[in-house]
Amino acid sequence: MPFYGYLYLLKVSEMHEKIMVATMGEYMDEIMKYTLDIIQERKTEVIGIYVVETSTPFLTPKKVKEMMATELRDKGKEILESMRQEFQSSKHYMINFRGMLREGDPAEEIVKTAEEEGVDLIILGTGKDIIDKRLLGSVSEKVVHSAPCNVMLIKTI
Amino acid sequence: MLIVIKSADVFVDNLVEIGGALGISQIILGVTASAIGTSLPEFGSAVIASLSGSTELGVGTVIGSNIWNMAGILGISAIVAGSIRTGSEGLTRDWLMTLGTGLILIFFMLFGDITWTAAVVMIAAYCFYLWFLIKAQRKHSDESSQQEENESHNIETPEKQEKNSKKIINKKSIAFVIVGFVGLVIGCRLMVYSGVELASIAGIPEMIMGLFTLAIGTSVPELVVTLSSAMKGLHDLSIGTVLGSNTFNILVGIGVPALIMSVPVERLSLTFDAPVMLFVTVLLMVLVRKGNMKLNRVAGIILLVTYIVYAFLRIFVLA
Repeated sequence: MPFYGYLYLLKVSEMHEKIMVATMGEYMDEIMKYTLDIIQERKTEVIGIYVVETSTPFLTPKKVKEMMATELRDKGKEILESMRQEFQSSKHYMINFRGMLREGDPAEEIVKTAEEEGVDLIILGTGKDIIDKRLLGSVSEKVVHSAPCNVMLIKTI
Repeated sequence: MLIVIKSADVFVDNLVEIGGALGISQIILGVTASAIGTSLPEFGSAVIASLSGSTELGVGTVIGSNIWNMAGILGISAIVAGSIRTGSEGLTRDWLMTLGTGLILIFFMLFGDITWTAAVVMIAAYCFYLWFLIKAQRKHSDESSQQEENESHNIETPEKQEKNSKKIINKKSIAFVIVGFVGLVIGCRLMVYSGVELASIAGIPEMIMGLFTLAIGTSVPELVVTLSSAMKGLHDLSIGTVLGSNTFNILVGIGVPALIMSVPVERLSLTFDAPVMLFVTVLLMVLVRKGNMKLNRVAGIILLVTYIVYAFLRIFVLA
């Protein structure tokens, strides 16, 4: 990384004491690597957030809806646990990590929690191709438009 | 159609509530709710069609639903979601059962009408599959609860889940089971009646009506479950719903009506529809293996094109 890049990172880390890392379980390694790069040796509070998307199409059987929510909750807990293990390892003693599992629309919940917790920076991955964006929508785009703080997007593809 | 789908949902949902209150394991209830719940419209229409003498419509709905489930629904889901990942153990089990079920059906079709002897074998095979499924689910559930105990600290969740809460049988649940059942019977009766009438008005054979219109209509629950679970990344549920539903459709959807009265087999069903169903089953596995245990967007397009070609040949060339 060029010299001015380090200067920039140092500046960023000075500004951010409470960081929220949002993930759906994909590209976790890249997202955590960049988060740790930003934090460096500073005392920082990191909130890992996973949002269980509870919306289902019309005519989805109620029991299946419940099964889906349970599966996603379990998946979310697993993801947050692996984040906790990475961020709270002895190497990163300066990080105070908290995992949060929320339910609802991912973009709305990320923004709402960021407001409630007063975070300084939201970090999330982005990398859908144009077809995926059209068909599935983009959480990162929605977050960027309504976030109460800085947003850092990690390009994953 | 809406009455049928909603009634099936209300019926299964409340039956599960009552089952829970009677102390039946949540695992058994969960497996049955997802596997049977989405297939009740096909089952209901097959039984009602048999009882009202339109057996061809019933068989057509079942075979048509199975081809649509694998080629149409999985094709659309893979195209929209980008890819559907599969676990090798669960996929092999469910896929082998779907293939085996197709072979059992063709075997009995070779003898002409599907009689009660075949029906008994088919229903027994489904009971065996269900037992196997529950056993696998119980193992999975034990492993995840153990893991959950180790992981639950330091994670803030919106609310604590109620566990081991004792339920009592609610009179409302019993009433809803009855309402759901009545709705299912009336809805299926209306649907079969409209299918037969429409077929005679438009001059379309009943078999074609069952294979396409009713088959696609009764598969709406599978479509919403498969598509939304693929989009949410719940890949096992996505492919499992389709394969589990196909097994149920044949073994119970044809087995139970055959228990009531012999189901006649149309020649084209034996020589074309059922072989296409087997071909699509094999194609699905080939595409998953080629895609490194994933059903990607290209595979989805291949499946959907296969369905379109089948529909074109069946409606315009062979009918």
